[in-house]
Amino acid sequence: MTPDPLEALRLPIMPVEPRPEFTASLLRRLRGERAPVSGRGATVRYFVSDLDAAVAFYCDDLGFDEELRPSPSFAMLYHGDLRLLLSVPAAAHALPDGTLPDPGGWNRIVVEVPDLGAAVEALSARGVRFRHEIVTAVGVRQALLEDPSGNPVELFEPLAGYHERAPRTGNE
Amino acid sequence: MGIEQEGTGAETPLAALYHRALPQVYGYLLPRCGSAVLAEDLTAETFMAAVAAARRDCPPELTVAWLVGVARHKLVDHWRRTDLERRRLGGIVSGAEPADDPWEAQLDIAAAHAALSRLSAYQRAALTLRYLDGLPVAEVAQELGRSLHATETLLVRARAALRRVYEEGEGRDA
Repeated sequence: MTPDPLEALRLPIMPVEPRPEFTASLLRRLRGERAPVSGRGATVRYFVSDLDAAVAFYCDDLGFDEELRPSPSFAMLYHGDLRLLLSVPAAAHALPDGTLPDPGGWNRIVVEVPDLGAAVEALSARGVRFRHEIVTAVGVRQALLEDPSGNPVELFEPLAGYHERAPRTGNE
Repeated sequence: MGIEQEGTGAETPLAALYHRALPQVYGYLLPRCGSAVLAEDLTAETFMAAVAAARRDCPPELTVAWLVGVARHKLVDHWRRTDLERRRLGGIVSGAEPADDPWEAQLDIAAAHAALSRLSAYQRAALTLRYLDGLPVAEVAQELGRSLHATETLLVRARAALRRVYEEGEGRDA
């Protein structure tokens, strides 16, 4: 009998050292240590229906930076300390009954801009949808817009009386 | 609560094994995944599973071979999920192919590996376990959670699909 040519595909295990950062962070996880918290901002995940449109919107219109886009269904963006994960809903996100998450809703990230009027004008000119235009609230003026998948994003500009915690000092 | 024994500060068997086992597990996964991001995810899952296993009443003996076996399960689980995802998205391709004879042409190993990465998740899983890992068909069936007969059929179809993709690749290069 002719030998099976696919036998030639046999792949012995060749040791490969992963990235040193990965080696160190996995060891920390195995030891039950948390990742160092200081200096880290928050992470938020948004579900989007069109990843390309979402990345273009957040990067080109709102000034986020693309950090990773390892697949057609996931991207990691940064805006200062805020890390925004964009995911196209897939089986991995489904509930046990198969329900998939949808973009939309009312909870949102809140992004500070220095001049809200100018930002709203520029974004309107680029065709960005607004749920409401500028309103004045306590300590801020704010506007509510939507990303291309319909997720809300709130922009605000601090006014007199605006408050946030002072930056912490110490080891970062 | 991790790989150091609580209170003693002494390292557990997994900690002692970590630096030796990590390149083996990652080296097993990387060429089979074809993506460093995925290989890192599955490597982390493998070692986290070892931490969980070490806490059981009858912990297994932690060895490189045991970890590579877990990595293989994680890879198969990943392919299962991928397959499910494709089905949900409606991207099923019919796998019905006639049985084929062994190829007469000399196999270009690199091209065959490239062709493998373009198959459906289950076909890729079956061929990887059978040929890259060299498992007997019965063990492939066990890993995939399918009957021996179903696995034999899957392997025949997967080989036919691989052949088709491989030959398309050759045609394109010519």
